[in-house]
Amino acid sequence: MSRLQGPSLLKRKRPDSNSPSVSLTEHERLLYDLIQSKQDMAIWTRDMKRETNLPDNVVTKSLKSLQTKKLIKEVVNIQNKGRKHYIATEFEPSTEITGGTWYAEGNLDTEFINFLKKHCVKIIYEQKVATLEGVLDTIRRSRAFNIEFTTQQVEEIVNVLVLDNEIMEVKSNGIGEFGSIPVGRVCYTCTNKGGNKGEPKIGAMASIPCGVCPRISLCTPDGIISPKTCVYFSKWLDF
Amino acid sequence: MVTEYGIKFTVNLINNHFGNLVAKVCENLLRRGPLNLQLIVRYTELTPQQVKNSLLILIQHNCVQAFSYEQDGGLEDGPKSNTQYMALFNNILHRMRFSKFLEIISREFDDKCKELLEGLLQHGRLTLKQMVERAKDMAERAKSRKIEGICEDLVQESLVKLLTARYVERCPASEPVLAARDKEETPAKKRGPKSARTAEESQTLEQRVLAAAAPMGAQRFSAITNNESSVSRETSTDDSPGMRVGAKRKYDALELHIEPAAEEEEVVLWRANFEEFIRCLRHKACIENVRERLDDGAATVLRAMLEATRSFENKVKTEKSVPLSLNNIFEEVMKSEEGRGMTLDRVRASLVQLGCSPSARGTDESYKIDLKKIIELAQNDEVESIVLKRYGRDAYRMFRLLSKNGCLVETDKIANTTFVEKKDAPKILYKLWKDEYLHMEKLVVAGARQSQFLLWKVNKPCLWKHVLDEMFHAALNLSQRVAYEREKEKEFLNLPVDKQIMSQEERLNRLKSVRIVLESSLLKLGDAFMLFHDFEESSLLKLDDAIMLSHDL
Repeated sequence: MSRLQGPSLLKRKRPDSNSPSVSLTEHERLLYDLIQSKQDMAIWTRDMKRETNLPDNVVTKSLKSLQTKKLIKEVVNIQNKGRKHYIATEFEPSTEITGGTWYAEGNLDTEFINFLKKHCVKIIYEQKVATLEGVLDTIRRSRAFNIEFTTQQVEEIVNVLVLDNEIMEVKSNGIGEFGSIPVGRVCYTCTNKGGNKGEPKIGAMASIPCGVCPRISLCTPDGIISPKTCVYFSKWLDF
Repeated sequence: MVTEYGIKFTVNLINNHFGNLVAKVCENLLRRGPLNLQLIVRYTELTPQQVKNSLLILIQHNCVQAFSYEQDGGLEDGPKSNTQYMALFNNILHRMRFSKFLEIISREFDDKCKELLEGLLQHGRLTLKQMVERAKDMAERAKSRKIEGICEDLVQESLVKLLTARYVERCPASEPVLAARDKEETPAKKRGPKSARTAEESQTLEQRVLAAAAPMGAQRFSAITNNESSVSRETSTDDSPGMRVGAKRKYDALELHIEPAAEEEEVVLWRANFEEFIRCLRHKACIENVRERLDDGAATVLRAMLEATRSFENKVKTEKSVPLSLNNIFEEVMKSEEGRGMTLDRVRASLVQLGCSPSARGTDESYKIDLKKIIELAQNDEVESIVLKRYGRDAYRMFRLLSKNGCLVETDKIANTTFVEKKDAPKILYKLWKDEYLHMEKLVVAGARQSQFLLWKVNKPCLWKHVLDEMFHAALNLSQRVAYEREKEKEFLNLPVDKQIMSQEERLNRLKSVRIVLESSLLKLGDAFMLFHDFEESSLLKLDDAIMLSHDL
């Protein structure tokens, strides 16, 4: 953040003021100009102190007063949630700061994401096979959301569904279900889970206590943790 | 891939089947690699007689193969120090799959064949004469007296059937001689989980020994012996192989127990051909995996393809199925009941589903299926399901991302792609790394502000080995728990009746359920071993048949 103009800017007092008519102290003005110069990127308090060379208490006080005058606002930077960032009120924080559509107040908006994920799965399930554009189109037409999604956003959701093993990528062969899709195009279809209530198949290892045991590396035939004394085993074999 | 717990598990198997002396000999051979008799005696601290008897049992059951090196001159101190004994890890592991092998036979053949194989599995190696005697015994026990001649004919007929299907083979040479040039690299090689590379080297030694011992191509499955009549003169009983030979001349005491007869006439020993069973199980696993992942149609097509080309592929772990033309595939699909309803278009669609596009060979389009890929997917499924169960949904997504990408990915990028909270991502990744599920690299970028990035990836060869070792560990635990439950039961039965908390019946029912759970889990784990161990390694078979692979149908 120090890569902008640097101290030279700070020494100059800006005569022009399209800025609010509210009178500002010298320090407040200095800070406000700095914050404003960062535009939608916002600035961290520590960086302000470094760039203005103002003592801590002055900065804190000025920031408070600027906030009450509604000239600046605090924003959460998802890269560093612990660090206080400020931005001039006329700017909306950039997506780099907010994390984009998937974030709400600096946190991952899991509720929204899950809702959208479910919606996409439903679309793909109903259409049997769907291309990315097909999914996007259906979402747009459904009007279930008041946000306009971009192709990239839907792609991100679809990719995560692939990683969830909810859907899988297939290439169209132009036959049967793929009839309407050009040969070779990537499409998505729901994974076959063998009617297991939507849960993926549990492997041989994952279905026994040892497969998921957090202590397996400490378990030895005659040790303190052993198959004879194992509490997980006892629980498992409690008939 | 022989891992630490792999050794522990197989030694435990041997201990359960043949007792602790045999297990001790076996463990030393597994850990130290091929050894001669004196060294085994020294390491095990058993008497030479005990070691000899143990080795005889292990050889009889195909768990140890003897071999020797070509002699350069008279510098060696006599032939007795020259015979090396090598434990065959795979064959020991196969002992837990006998029930599966029998199931295959009983599905494909009649009861007579099943009985014959049962005999071979129980006794390791048998002559025709012994098989006939066994069949007679069985018939007598079943009180259905049959004329001896018929019995012999029946046994021979079954044997020929199994030989044709390659489920039974002639035993390998008892002590093949290897060329001397490799002598230096072999003696007393340490085989441990830490020395993955040496383990691999000694595998090539294992391959060489097995190749040298294997009967010549045509002979291996040929029922014709030079003198079948020798059977009648051969009298050994299988249950005490060690007794007679133990007293023999010292230096070749470890030859097979039929050695005395061999001086006069050649006696042919037969055994189950594990390779064929594994190949069969591999195909089955592929078909079932396809059925689960795709649908019944794809599974039917794959099965038809594998069945049609069965006689043409002779490697255990073929990477790709033999190319077949669409017409041939269709013809084969029609043979099975579930395939009768499929149209040519449906078959073609299934082939595309299976991921194979036609390659033009001559005028006809021909298809082959990437079996290795199917196995890989099944392996992924198994490991991913462990990750899901052990580390949760977020970890599962992250792991799948890295597994798919196959290259290093930075923490934040992982978090973004998988929709995991930025502060949680490093924690989850760290946990996976600590348990050896991920590989991590630090990247320090010196710029205006020095920053450090963490990059992660799934290192499959390493991870697969780790998972396999954990599976062996789990299997060892299961079998020890079974033993423990049995012991507990015995203790309980010794208590006076008034002190018994539960009724006898309740206890027995409980024990039964416990054993069913434990043993069925063990069987399932056995399948997983195959996936990571037996289906993976390069083939041990001769290459002469590989020419047939290119055979165009």
